[in-house]
Amino acid sequence: MHLFDLPSGIPWLSLIWISLFVPTVLIAVVPSSQRDLIRWIGVVFSFLSLVLSLLVFFAYDPAQGGFQFVEKLDWIPQLGISYLLGVDGINLPMLVLNGFIIFTGALISWNIDHRLKEYWVLLLLLTTGVYGVFLALDLFLLFVFYELAVLPMYLLIGIWGSTRKEYGAMKLTLFLMTGSVFAIIGMVAIYFGSGLRTFNMIELANTVTFSGDFQRTFFPPLFIGFAVLAGMFPFHTWSPTGHVAAPTAVSMLHAGVLMKLGAYGCLRVAMWLMPYGAQQWLPFFAILTIFNVVYGATIAMAQRDFKFIIGYSSVSHMGLVVMSLAAANEIGLMGAVLQMFAHGIMTGLFFAVVGRMIYERTHTRQLPELGGLGRVMPFAAAMFVIGGLSSMGMPGFAGFWAEFNIFIGVWERYPLVAIIAALSIPITGAYILRATYQVFFGTVKDPSFNALPALTWQEYTGGIILAIILIGVGIYPAILTELIHTGVAPVVQQINGSINIAGF
Amino acid sequence: MANVLWLIPLLPLLGFLLNVLVVWRDSDAARRERNAGYIACGAVGLAFVLAFIAFIELAMLPHEEQHMHVVLWEWINTGSFSVPIGLLFDPLSSVMVLLVTGVGTLIHVYSIGYMHNDERVVRYFAYLNLFIVMMLMLVMADNLLLLFLGWEGVGLCSFLLIGHWFERKTASDAAVKAFVVNRIGDAGMLLAMMTIFAHFGTLSFVGEESFLERAREIAGQYVTIPGQPTWILLTTGISLLLLVGVTGKSAQLPLFVWLPDAMAGPTPVSALIHAATMVTAGVYLMARTHSIFTLSPTAQSVVTFVGVATALIGGTAAIAQWDIKRVLAYSTVSQLGYMVAAAGMGAYAVAIFHLLTHGIFKALLFLASGSVIHGAHDVQDMRRMGGLRKAMPTTFRVYAIGAIALAGIFPLAGFWSKDEILATAWGKGQIGIFAILFITSMLTAFYMGRQIALVFFGEQRDSSYHAHESGPMMTWPLWILAVGAVIGGAMNLPVLHTLTHWLEPVLEEEGKAFDLTTLILALVATGAAVGSAYGGLRYYMHNAHRIKPNRQDPLYRYFGDIWNMFEEAWYVDQTYERYTVVPWYRSLAGFLGEIFDPQGIDGMVHGVARLVQGAAAGVRLVQNGYVRTYALVFLTGVIAIIGYLVIAW
Repeated sequence: MHLFDLPSGIPWLSLIWISLFVPTVLIAVVPSSQRDLIRWIGVVFSFLSLVLSLLVFFAYDPAQGGFQFVEKLDWIPQLGISYLLGVDGINLPMLVLNGFIIFTGALISWNIDHRLKEYWVLLLLLTTGVYGVFLALDLFLLFVFYELAVLPMYLLIGIWGSTRKEYGAMKLTLFLMTGSVFAIIGMVAIYFGSGLRTFNMIELANTVTFSGDFQRTFFPPLFIGFAVLAGMFPFHTWSPTGHVAAPTAVSMLHAGVLMKLGAYGCLRVAMWLMPYGAQQWLPFFAILTIFNVVYGATIAMAQRDFKFIIGYSSVSHMGLVVMSLAAANEIGLMGAVLQMFAHGIMTGLFFAVVGRMIYERTHTRQLPELGGLGRVMPFAAAMFVIGGLSSMGMPGFAGFWAEFNIFIGVWERYPLVAIIAALSIPITGAYILRATYQVFFGTVKDPSFNALPALTWQEYTGGIILAIILIGVGIYPAILTELIHTGVAPVVQQINGSINIAGF
Repeated sequence: MANVLWLIPLLPLLGFLLNVLVVWRDSDAARRERNAGYIACGAVGLAFVLAFIAFIELAMLPHEEQHMHVVLWEWINTGSFSVPIGLLFDPLSSVMVLLVTGVGTLIHVYSIGYMHNDERVVRYFAYLNLFIVMMLMLVMADNLLLLFLGWEGVGLCSFLLIGHWFERKTASDAAVKAFVVNRIGDAGMLLAMMTIFAHFGTLSFVGEESFLERAREIAGQYVTIPGQPTWILLTTGISLLLLVGVTGKSAQLPLFVWLPDAMAGPTPVSALIHAATMVTAGVYLMARTHSIFTLSPTAQSVVTFVGVATALIGGTAAIAQWDIKRVLAYSTVSQLGYMVAAAGMGAYAVAIFHLLTHGIFKALLFLASGSVIHGAHDVQDMRRMGGLRKAMPTTFRVYAIGAIALAGIFPLAGFWSKDEILATAWGKGQIGIFAILFITSMLTAFYMGRQIALVFFGEQRDSSYHAHESGPMMTWPLWILAVGAVIGGAMNLPVLHTLTHWLEPVLEEEGKAFDLTTLILALVATGAAVGSAYGGLRYYMHNAHRIKPNRQDPLYRYFGDIWNMFEEAWYVDQTYERYTVVPWYRSLAGFLGEIFDPQGIDGMVHGVARLVQGAAAGVRLVQNGYVRTYALVFLTGVIAIIGYLVIAW
């Protein structure tokens, strides 16, 4: 939606990630006794980054399409590495998503007391990295930011987490590192295979056609490398464990945006640069994602730990994203990007409710021990239900548009996959309601629940913002769809056009 | 009026928002309750007035142009895929809108009395308004996707309202069950929409380009594009997928199991959602998309079979219930089966006719049963009732009117519509179907007679409570509905066929000619209904002394296990619970969640980790920091290389 123009000459995109990098430095020099000051710095700057990304979002002109606000500086010209940023219809919604999640996540982090300075530094550093990945159009730059986003996770979970936190942190890090190894293999192959000695993705996508054999060989490592981060079966087990172990705001970021980095990489790097490889390999990945979608939902059904339910629901929902990437048609890719956005917001809301509003008060997440919380904290119940409705694809919520596009897209290319995946519709409904029912309905299980501390304004604000987005996008999806459409159309053209090179 | 059609759903939406955002914050409980009720009633009442004006305006238009359509905004538009938010007010929508807002208003008013002093009354009225909004979207949508919004929306409101007293286990169980069972139907709907979109490129109901028209065009042409289904396969597939949705929402076999449990919600909710409006959405959907169903004889046979079987199972289950509301719930299941059967036989106008009359008299019965429950201090077991006609004369009268209407006794509303369905079955030569529907109609009359006898005649069997009549806020809506139940049949009398004619632009049906056979059928049917109703009434009045709390029904000694089967609705629910998908799936989920994922998948992961550890341990043996080891390795290497060179050379 093009509402206004931003003055040119200002590096808007750099400002977005810098606006989060600055507070990491600031907080590092503030004495750790100034606890509220540190929190305020974190919240204000993350709000600033949100505002900046919204400015860019509304100043982007979908009618014109393509990459806008492009910034290019030579970094290591000898190696063809440049500082290249730009936004289009694919990464713009991701920026806004990240803005919302870090802002609400910062609000939700208000109660962190233990080593709070280090916590905030790491949290903001992680988000800086996420912004960077979404912004970068240079493959090398993208990887630098990517590692920046992944590494703080280990410490954040290991120090501030709960429930087997060391195990969760180590597992997550090892998985993601293994993923990056695969992705780096693909990246290096692209660098040398193109013959251009450049990491500039725009150039690579537009001018280079890799040979059929090359693409067939190097598409899988690149795609899998990123798909690990998106939680693709059978590389998904790190994600529920990590979600559960992480402190709330980190779970929000982790499920909300970090997993999107993976799907984003699959789309932006693997599918965009190697369209023929995508053509060849995607049916295989489509089949794998059936497991994510149905199997993930089934496991969510069997969990007793509230956070594990959300964790496995993420596996299921991210499976839908990768599944529709595999459909590789316009509607499917639209659905994928929409789902990344919708799932990011929704899961952020879930973790805010489960991790912060409930667990931090009741100190248990076991469904059989909870019950009747609807009476005690009606706000949390309402938020969970709103998130749940979006999650099960109820029309009028953001998740519906995502799922609807996904199913249509997948149906066009793999009807059987779509039918099997449709099994997840009742299953998702069932596990969400099962959780709602056991946690919020019924009589108050434990008398101590009646004396739980009231919700704070930070929790209210965070919850309301996320809930409004879910409903707003549900009622007026055009705010995103028009934009996303301009972004995915070129990728689809690329993939469809690549059939011609089959004769290579 | 066409330009302000959107006001009809907007008014209840405003009511919802006002209650949720403003009234809810009021600290004075009494004022909060009063305002919530007035706002909700006012919003729906005004919507009804507007709908009535629109209806009159529609009636003034020439017959072929009876159609108002307004597009509010593009909901989603992405190149090939665009869906508007458009409202349609044609003859079919108009009668549905009138039913929804009309009966809705009465039930809202009744709720003020019924829900008095409830602690979550604002929430209740807000959701009731939201339900009306969603139901209006469902019946006024100009495309399948918007219809689906309403379809899911009413399901959501149903869930929230069944779970109104969520502290009660039965209520929250029932809410979850209703929702999950409906999701199964929704998956069918979603797949149907995808198929329609993939083949017709649109989901619109309106105009030449609508998928309904396009389906008609391709009919008869054998499309033999490689990889594409033929039209007959296509329409059959779409119809059957839609039918899956219908069985969920309209409580048909095999998904009807949620409806009886849904009675755990407040009684006005049962009246509005689980009798008069929401559950009829499936019938409406079939009428709306009838041009697809008509193209597939296979699908139509399946639809008819589902409807007839549901009618019979519902009817037999209703005779064996003790809970006053569960009798009515199974009766609703059975009557919905009637409507679906009619639709399956291609008599969509007849199905809509029965939908409308049933909407009125079943709402009446539920509200009256609510009045009984209210007056009897939340007693629902009919074994603990008896003789209530003395304490609640008004309720007794309206209940009797509703029961006679439902039993299909001349000249009340149910007689006309039920008789049309029987006549259709007979006219099509479907004797088997006719026979089952006929038996069901006798069952219907019998269980209503039984219920009247158990509740209102004899002596009160449990004297632990003091029954009283309900207040005017609850009784006058009952009277209005009672009038409707008496004269409702007039909307589609034989020969005149006002309703069929009114619906003709949409459903393209002619009223059936009235002949001697029809008359004989009508006479026989009425005779049978009167006989069964009297039989039920007499038998249970006569055996009143045998009825005691927790005792078996007097008919049990004749039927034995079969009676138990009736009482449990042919064990459909138990079958799900015990023998089929549910337990199987539960153990699968348990296996995957507790064994396969943590041990299988993660086992592999840990295996790899151990491998790496092992390898590291192996390497560590070598990297031990002793110079002599390194020297040894170095020496071995040198010898190996030299050896290789020597041999190769």
